[in-house]
Amino acid sequence: MIQVENLSKEFILTRKLQKEYATKDKVAIAVDNISFECKPGRIFSLLGPNGAGKTTTMRMISTLFAPTKGSIKIAGIDVVENPNEARKKIGFLTGSTGLYQRLTPNELIKYFADLYHVPTDKFEERKAYLYDLLNMNDFQHKRIGKLSTGMKQKVSICRTMIHDPEVIVFDEPTSGLDVITSENIIKLIRDCKNQGKTVIFSSHIMSEVDLLSDDLAIIHKGKIIFNDTFQNFKQQMTTDNLTSEFIYLIGKQS
Amino acid sequence: MIFTIFKKELKDTLRDRRTIIMMVIIPIFIFPVIMTVFTKISDSFNSDTIAKTLNIGIVNEDKSNDFLKSLNNLPKELGKRELIIFKDSNELKKQINLDSIQFGVFVPQSYAQIKDSLLSADLKIYHNATELGMQERAEVFVNAINENIKIIRYAQLNIKPEQIQPLKISYENVASEKETIGKLIGGFLPYLFIAFGFMGCMYPAIDLFTGEKERGTLETLLTTPVSRWQILIGKMGVVVMSGLLAASLTMLGIFLTIEVFDIIKEPKILEVIHQILTVKFIFMFYLILIPLIIFFAGVMIPIAVYAKTFKEAQSIIAPMNAIIVLPAMVGFFPGVELNLTTSCIPIVNVVLATKELIAGTLDVGLLALSSGIMISLATISIFFSYKQFGKETNLVS
Repeated sequence: MIQVENLSKEFILTRKLQKEYATKDKVAIAVDNISFECKPGRIFSLLGPNGAGKTTTMRMISTLFAPTKGSIKIAGIDVVENPNEARKKIGFLTGSTGLYQRLTPNELIKYFADLYHVPTDKFEERKAYLYDLLNMNDFQHKRIGKLSTGMKQKVSICRTMIHDPEVIVFDEPTSGLDVITSENIIKLIRDCKNQGKTVIFSSHIMSEVDLLSDDLAIIHKGKIIFNDTFQNFKQQMTTDNLTSEFIYLIGKQS
Repeated sequence: MIFTIFKKELKDTLRDRRTIIMMVIIPIFIFPVIMTVFTKISDSFNSDTIAKTLNIGIVNEDKSNDFLKSLNNLPKELGKRELIIFKDSNELKKQINLDSIQFGVFVPQSYAQIKDSLLSADLKIYHNATELGMQERAEVFVNAINENIKIIRYAQLNIKPEQIQPLKISYENVASEKETIGKLIGGFLPYLFIAFGFMGCMYPAIDLFTGEKERGTLETLLTTPVSRWQILIGKMGVVVMSGLLAASLTMLGIFLTIEVFDIIKEPKILEVIHQILTVKFIFMFYLILIPLIIFFAGVMIPIAVYAKTFKEAQSIIAPMNAIIVLPAMVGFFPGVELNLTTSCIPIVNVVLATKELIAGTLDVGLLALSSGIMISLATISIFFSYKQFGKETNLVS
C-alpha cells in the first residue's frame, strides 16, 4: 500500500538554475499538493507529459527526495520518519537505471541482497527462483559490461526483486528499451500484481498504460488532474482513443 | 553495511584499468625507472668524461713552452689530453665555440721566467660555460701545475710549506650520515608520496561518486536501506585506501630499487637507507600519511559529488594537484625546518615531518601538532563531504 497525502516538492533555484530554466523565480514547484493511494494487487499508473512531476513524485516515494510538505506511507511506514524501514519494503526500477559494469550478475545481486539485509538461506532461494524465471543462469558469471541490453534488463529486474519487496516503483521503466526488452518489464509488472504486490508505474507510453493499469492518475504541472480507476477513465472518455483523450485533458488545463 | 559497501567498491575499483595504472603500476615503477635513468645518465656522463680525450688549446708562440711541457707531464689519471698550439686567442675562441677545443689557456711570454724570477704569470683560461664541467676540469690541470711550481719554489727559497701556510683547516661533520643523507633524500621522498597519494585518490573519488551518478547507479543505491553517511564512509574508505596504496607502493618501488633491482651502488647510501627503513619508521610514516590522505579524499569527494560528469570532476580536481604539490616542494629548500609555525601549515608540515623522520630528528611534539592539524582538517573535510553528499540536487543528475 502507498498512501500519498497533500504531497508537495519545491526546489530552490540557484542563479545557475535560474539561467538554465530562463526564469527569475527563486523556487520551482515540481509537485503541488497531490494525494492518491495505490492498493496491493493493483497497478497504479501515473501518467503525465515531460516535466509534469512524475519522476519527482516517484523519487519522493522511493525516499530519494524528501517532501517539502505532505506525507507518504509505504505499507504503513512514514518515509520521512523512518526512511530505512520504508526502503526495505520498496523495489525501485527506472528506465535509466545503470548497473555496475565491472561486476558479474552474481556479485551485483549478492551486493544488493546484503544491502537489503536478506538472510543467506532466503537469498539463495530467491536467487534460484529469479534466475530460473528470468533465464539468467547462463550469464551469471559474465561481467555485466559484456552483456546485451536484454540481459542487463533481466539483471536490473532481479536486483529490484531480490528482497521480495511489497511495493514496486517503476519510473518510466521501458524508456529507451526495444519492444522485446520492454516485454520483460511488462511481464514483471503483471507478475507483481498477481503476487499481490503494490505497483506504481509512471509512463507516457499510452499502449503500456492501456495494457497494465488498474488505477490511473494524470499529473500536469505538478497537480493531479485525474485520479480514478482506469475503467472509469475509459468510460468518461470524450475522444475515441487514449492518446487523444490525454492530449485533450492536458490541453484543457494549459 | 559500511564494510559491504567498502568491499564492493574496492572490488569494482580494482577492476578499473585506469585506476590500476594510477594506483599500482606507476607508483611501483616510477622510482626504479627514475633511478635507473638517472644512474645510467650519470654513469655514462662520468665514464665519458674520463675516457674522452680533452683537446686543450695553448696560445703561445713557443711550441715547446714550459707550460705545455708541465701539462704533458701531469699524471695520466687526470685525464687524456691533446695539446694544440694557437697563434692567437681569436682562433682559439672560435674552436672552443665549435667544441673542437674544450678549453684553452693563454700563456704569456713571462711564463718562461717564473721559475727563476719568483714572479707570477697571468694565465687566462677560455671555456664555454654551456659545456658543463669544463671550467672545473681546467682548474684541475692548472692547479696541479701551480702546486708543482710551489714545491720547486719552496726548495729554491729553502722554506717549508708550513712556514707560509699558518692554518691547516679540516672539517668534521658532526651530523650522522643518516641525518645528512636523510635530509637530502627526505626533501624528495615526501614530494613523491604526496603526488602519488593525491593521484591514487583522484580516480577512485571521481569514479565512485561522479561516475556512479553519471552511470545511473547511485539512484538505485540510495533507495536501499543504508544511511547516506554509511554509503559515504564505505566509498570514502576505498578512496583513502587507494591513496594509501599508491603512496605505499611508491615506497615499495624504492625498496625494489634498493633490494631487488640493485640500482643504488653506493654502500654508504645503502647503509643509511637500511637504517632508515625500520618498522618504527614505517609506523610513524603512516601516522603522518593517513590524515593527509583522508584530507585529500575529503577535499575531492565534495567536488566529485557536485560534478555532473567525469570530465567536469576531472577538470576541477586535476589542477588541484598543482596547488597540493607546490607546498610539497618546500622539502627541496634547505634550511626550512619543522617548527611551531610550519607544523600548522597543511602539506608543508607533512613534507617537513617526513623529512625529519627520515633524518631521525623528528620531534614527537611537533609530529603530534602536525598530525593534529591534518586530522582536524580531515574531520572538517569529511563533514563537508557529508553535507554535499546529503544534498538532493547533488545526488541525481
